[in-house]
Amino acid sequence: MSESILYYGVIPAIKAVVIVLVMATAAGVLTLFERRLLALLQVRKGPNRVGWEGSLQWVADTFKLLFKEDIVPAKADKVVHYLAPLFIIIPAMTVFAVLPWGPEVSFFGIKTPLYAMDVNIGLLFVLAVTTIGIYGVILAGWSSNSKYSLIGGLRSAAQLISYEVPMGFAVAAIIVMGQTLSLVEIIEAQKRMGLWFIFPGLVAFFLYFVSGVAETNRTPFDLPEAESELVAGFHTEYSGFKWSMFFLSEYANMVTVSAIATTLFFGGWLRPFPNVAFLSFLDFIPPIIWFLLKVSFFMFVYIWFRGTFPRYRFDQLMALGWKFLIPLSLGNIVLVAIAALWGKTGLTVLGTILTIAFAAGIFLAFRVPPKRLTVIEKSRPTEVPA
Amino acid sequence: MSLLNMVMLTDIFGGLKLTLTHAGRPADTVEYPERAKEPSERFRGMFKLDEERCIKCTLCAIECPINIIYIDWHSEKNEEGKSVKVLDRFDVDMKRCMFCGLCEDACPTNPKSIWLKTKTYELSTYERNEALYLDIVKLTSWDSNVKPFTPRPEK
Repeated sequence: MSESILYYGVIPAIKAVVIVLVMATAAGVLTLFERRLLALLQVRKGPNRVGWEGSLQWVADTFKLLFKEDIVPAKADKVVHYLAPLFIIIPAMTVFAVLPWGPEVSFFGIKTPLYAMDVNIGLLFVLAVTTIGIYGVILAGWSSNSKYSLIGGLRSAAQLISYEVPMGFAVAAIIVMGQTLSLVEIIEAQKRMGLWFIFPGLVAFFLYFVSGVAETNRTPFDLPEAESELVAGFHTEYSGFKWSMFFLSEYANMVTVSAIATTLFFGGWLRPFPNVAFLSFLDFIPPIIWFLLKVSFFMFVYIWFRGTFPRYRFDQLMALGWKFLIPLSLGNIVLVAIAALWGKTGLTVLGTILTIAFAAGIFLAFRVPPKRLTVIEKSRPTEVPA
Repeated sequence: MSLLNMVMLTDIFGGLKLTLTHAGRPADTVEYPERAKEPSERFRGMFKLDEERCIKCTLCAIECPINIIYIDWHSEKNEEGKSVKVLDRFDVDMKRCMFCGLCEDACPTNPKSIWLKTKTYELSTYERNEALYLDIVKLTSWDSNVKPFTPRPEK
């Protein structure tokens, strides 16, 4: 009896508390990480006054946010305005229950895996729960009784509908490869095949990551926030603690997308080439560190994108989603399904072909310098009439 | 080739490459209180008056578009019996100044007796009515009232 209380009561509770606390702190640290990294990419300094080289900036920001006045607009829908941050933060935190951070380890003689639970429909759970978070965005936009907020919320809804489809198809390709919906078993499948799913799923990864960036409302798809157009979009009318909930959930969602990308395409906690024996010296790095390294890399890519790309226009965003990503994802799922008929061999062949094609394409595309625009020069009269 | 560039997202990857190659460069930021860039040659900063050069013609006060320069003078006989102009008052209401520089242009002396090209721009004060109303004592004994600009080079 006490065994079952330990394994079904105490340990999951401890894990839940640890995950929530770690994520709340990590979101703060990630803001600092983001600001310093952006500064590095944009040849400026970033926050460097609080603590050593600005290392305590996030603590100062947290305290500032928590002690700020909580302003509710006079004609806002008070109840929904209060509930919207909860709608967005609860799903963002709930997803962490199924993220597989590491394999089974033993603490003080108790063997337990480094994830809260292994749900057999984990991937569906992740897709379903992250989508609920959008209710928070839409409700926040609607309840604020502000035009900026409303436009931000509606944009978010349109964006979610457009990009959930290619993301679902990209994930479906992985389900076909791994023959399972459980996140842990997908990692196990990659270990069994000795093949990260990034190789046969190169297109799927591209689709997943682009859709993931769009769904977390990050640059270049940050239309719901769009500082230069909508002030702050759906959270224009929020301040203090409620605003920090939006902030926290944005970073939590970024971590979720990164962690799912790691799990599905980059072998989760596995080291590179998990079945190649002579690389076994890489095992001295524990699996959770491998996982965190990969997640950190994707967080870096997020910030790298933000430092590089301008924001899409709304029609460009829709055109990219419907005219490019969805047809590509449909083609991809057919390709992967055919390859998966031959099991591991088929996936390896597909992976090899895709990798070679990608490498050759990049090589050729960058070998020939892109054509300069000659339209302007042609239209200009060569000789000025006297 | 443009099709290949389109398929391989050359512009996207090219942009990512560009930001990454810029990442290692030292920051262009000049962190102000510790360091400061020297303003350009024609930068208009704080006033300075040289009473010796001034011929009390009041052209600067006439030329000022918002009339913030107040000049009073009277004649005195010096030791040689010649009458010379002596300044009673030379006030500049700095808090309304828009730094157009017309007073400096109007000054007939060579070199100018009133000039703005001191490069001092650190003019913030706690009490603007007193600190930014310059009488002749403040204008001439300038260094003790307003901190002269000192270029603080980067490390």
